[in-house]
Amino acid sequence: MAAVKAPAQTSTEPLLALQGVTKRFGSLLALSDASLDIMPGEVHCILGENGAGKSTLCNLIFGVHVPDQGAMRFEGRSYHPASPADALTSGIAMVHQHFSLVHDMTVVDNVILGQQRGFVNTRAWAQRLERLANDYGFALDPNAKIDDLSVGERQRVEIVKCLIREPRLFLLDEPTAVLLPDEIGALLDICRRVAENGCAVVLVTHKLAEIKKAADRVTVLRGGRVVARSDHPAEEIDALVRAMIQGDLKSLDKSAASMLGVANGGADRAREAVPAETPPQEAVQIDGLTVVDGQGVTRLDNFTLSIGPGEIVGVAGVEGNGQSELAAVISGMAKPSGGHVYLGNVETTDLNPKELTAVGIGVVPEDRHSVGCVLEMSVAENMFLNRLGDFTSFGFLRRRELTQAARALMTRFDVRAASPEVAFSALSGGNQQKAVLAREITLPKLSFLLAAQPTRGLDVGAVAAVYGHIRAACASGAAVLLISSELDELIAVADRIVVLYRGRIMGNCTAEPSERERIGAMMAGHAQ
Amino acid sequence: MTDAAVRASMTKSRRRMLRPSIVISVAAVLAAALVGLVLIFALGVSVSEAIAAFIDGTLGTPYAIAASVNRSIAFALVGIGFVIANRANLVNVGGEGQIAVGGIAATAVALYGHVDGLPAALSFVIPLLAAVLAGMLWGSIAGILKIKAGTNEVISTLLLSFIAVWLLYWCVQSPQLLRKPMTSSATLPESLEIPEAAKLPLLTGDYSFPVHIGLPVTIVIAIVAGIVLVKTVFGLQLRAVGFNPVAAGRAGISYARMVMVSLATAGALGGLAGGFMLLGEQYVLKDGFSSGYGFDGLVAGLLARGSVVGVIAAALLFGFLRSGGINMEMVAGVPTALVMVIQGLIVVTLAGAAFFMGRRA
Repeated sequence: MAAVKAPAQTSTEPLLALQGVTKRFGSLLALSDASLDIMPGEVHCILGENGAGKSTLCNLIFGVHVPDQGAMRFEGRSYHPASPADALTSGIAMVHQHFSLVHDMTVVDNVILGQQRGFVNTRAWAQRLERLANDYGFALDPNAKIDDLSVGERQRVEIVKCLIREPRLFLLDEPTAVLLPDEIGALLDICRRVAENGCAVVLVTHKLAEIKKAADRVTVLRGGRVVARSDHPAEEIDALVRAMIQGDLKSLDKSAASMLGVANGGADRAREAVPAETPPQEAVQIDGLTVVDGQGVTRLDNFTLSIGPGEIVGVAGVEGNGQSELAAVISGMAKPSGGHVYLGNVETTDLNPKELTAVGIGVVPEDRHSVGCVLEMSVAENMFLNRLGDFTSFGFLRRRELTQAARALMTRFDVRAASPEVAFSALSGGNQQKAVLAREITLPKLSFLLAAQPTRGLDVGAVAAVYGHIRAACASGAAVLLISSELDELIAVADRIVVLYRGRIMGNCTAEPSERERIGAMMAGHAQ
Repeated sequence: MTDAAVRASMTKSRRRMLRPSIVISVAAVLAAALVGLVLIFALGVSVSEAIAAFIDGTLGTPYAIAASVNRSIAFALVGIGFVIANRANLVNVGGEGQIAVGGIAATAVALYGHVDGLPAALSFVIPLLAAVLAGMLWGSIAGILKIKAGTNEVISTLLLSFIAVWLLYWCVQSPQLLRKPMTSSATLPESLEIPEAAKLPLLTGDYSFPVHIGLPVTIVIAIVAGIVLVKTVFGLQLRAVGFNPVAAGRAGISYARMVMVSLATAGALGGLAGGFMLLGEQYVLKDGFSSGYGFDGLVAGLLARGSVVGVIAAALLFGFLRSGGINMEMVAGVPTALVMVIQGLIVVTLAGAAFFMGRRA
């Protein structure tokens, strides 16, 4: 264990102590011999990449899973919860990554659910709620419907649901992933206040900026093991990152680093050398694209944008503001209610996916598993799913050739799998995404690449690789539309950014770190 | 923990667990047979007599063997059709109706299509083609409903079967359609016998072993189907649509085309089975001639778990079971229902075994 610093001597007893906790899922060692102390009144961050065991750790503490080995002590007593209900009665509450709210009900009804039986005095509960929100310095209308709330407000409802139980340990699993920049700040403030009231807060994250801002202490997980701890995280960020990704910060792609919040601005946007022979360069023109859904709600409103060859335009916005509809229309999966898309002189609005592939439009879909690949089929089959015809004689598949081509592509794009023949589901998320990207980027005469949330759920190494490939596609003359809910990612990779809010373009700006706040405000619907 | 990794390890172990499925299948068949024997004993029938009757009805005479094989041909064709559609994640339960329309079309063309004077094989090939087309039409209706209206193919193929079965009834009841001329009030509700030239040639040419040319045709179809499913791009695309129609669509594989082709093919094979039954064994169209065949074929396809070889094995098993069962009833007085019970037990045992294997992994 490469301790960044020997833990400081503590005067008080730990609130929660984990000793040598191990958890396996089948052959997968999710958490191995993890030991951890949580002190009362501290904000303790658990840092680690995807798959490092962070969520497993939370789920063990919250009683979702039972550890295979090791012991937990809570408030000095042996603690072994069999279910979340046990954890709640012991005084441990958790906000999950995915909310569990009843959308048609009000805030106060959602809070009452599961806390009380029999007759309910809704007004008293509402008053209690308001008092609580007041204590922690945020506003929450108890009578608002969940449907009318923003994602950040919904998260506050989840937080209130926990805090009203007056927990002594408060777990938050990746709470900032869904939030706007200023909402993140507010959340961290709430965490601080909760800790000041004597409750311990465990905050799971992979973003270093949050650690700098809020953490008293940090524990770093990698591959299910505790690899570092720090009592002064703000001063030891570099060492923590090294421990998290097991590598040097300098070797890290600068954009990926800025996404983690370790490098401030200065994202290296230098392009790789342009190949000597570039394909015909076509500009993309999107003209007044409008999508009205089955309920008559306008999901995308008069979206107009042009992308030059070799340009990366980012689409920022909180999820659900028209990005999915935009991507679906461009990729030929849905018909727009109005508007046109042109690639050069060719109108592509009504082309089907096969024809889009033929004219050189590559698509990295937002939902990798349901649109990007067929998990049950082999890696090779998936990597050429849209071009199986290239490996056909008289209808028969030339499987050996397909396998060889796939192997070559896997080497080029660093897709790690035992062989091209293994099921796609056997690949890690990062490798799956690289494979999808490889398929779409190597389209013959690629002139337009649409990448929607291309780094979601990927670890740092894979993120860097994805950025590299997107830049390479752009360097060879393709127009790139990058849809992402990670503002840092857009600032790092795109040339300019348009902001979507409720289906409309709120504004257009250059992708500079100095524009962050302006973009954040536009994402929240404030016209600039 | 990445759930992809967990899922991968699960799929891998599940595959490994299901590898010895032949052993399980044989065990299931034996277990079901044992239960059958116990039931026969409980009925108070002499077990040895029943077994003797069963063997006599399946393997006892060349005629019995041939009858069992002919029965298996129909099961196999419907089963192969089921497997093809199932690759695209479609469940064709309409074998019964597809057989019925195939039989109707074959009879109609054989009787009234002036095929009698045609040269050589055409006089039975043309009625067979009519049967194939009729079945294909029946399967395509379900395909169109699925694509245009999103109708679940389980519902549409099942209901189309009812339509076909009642269409058959109408055809044999109505003298304006296929009923033979009414000469007296005792005229049976059935068609005339098809002309000699339209009857399928027998492999041996000998009526004591009446296996018709449907056997080699079915073997060829099974081989072709196996190759198409495993070796061709079409087979791969069918699989892609079956696993993930959205991703397949994004990759340019037309869902509509795959649904149409697979349901039409399944229907065509059902129609062919009906044609074989009419032109190869029964020669006269009667009400209920397809009864049970479609569903037994469906079960054969279901048990085969996507393998064409498996379909053949299951079809043979059911073909011989049925023949033996009929003889048991006639000779030993064991109700045929018992054979159905045994068949059902085999299905339940196999499905249960697969379920528990899956769970253990």
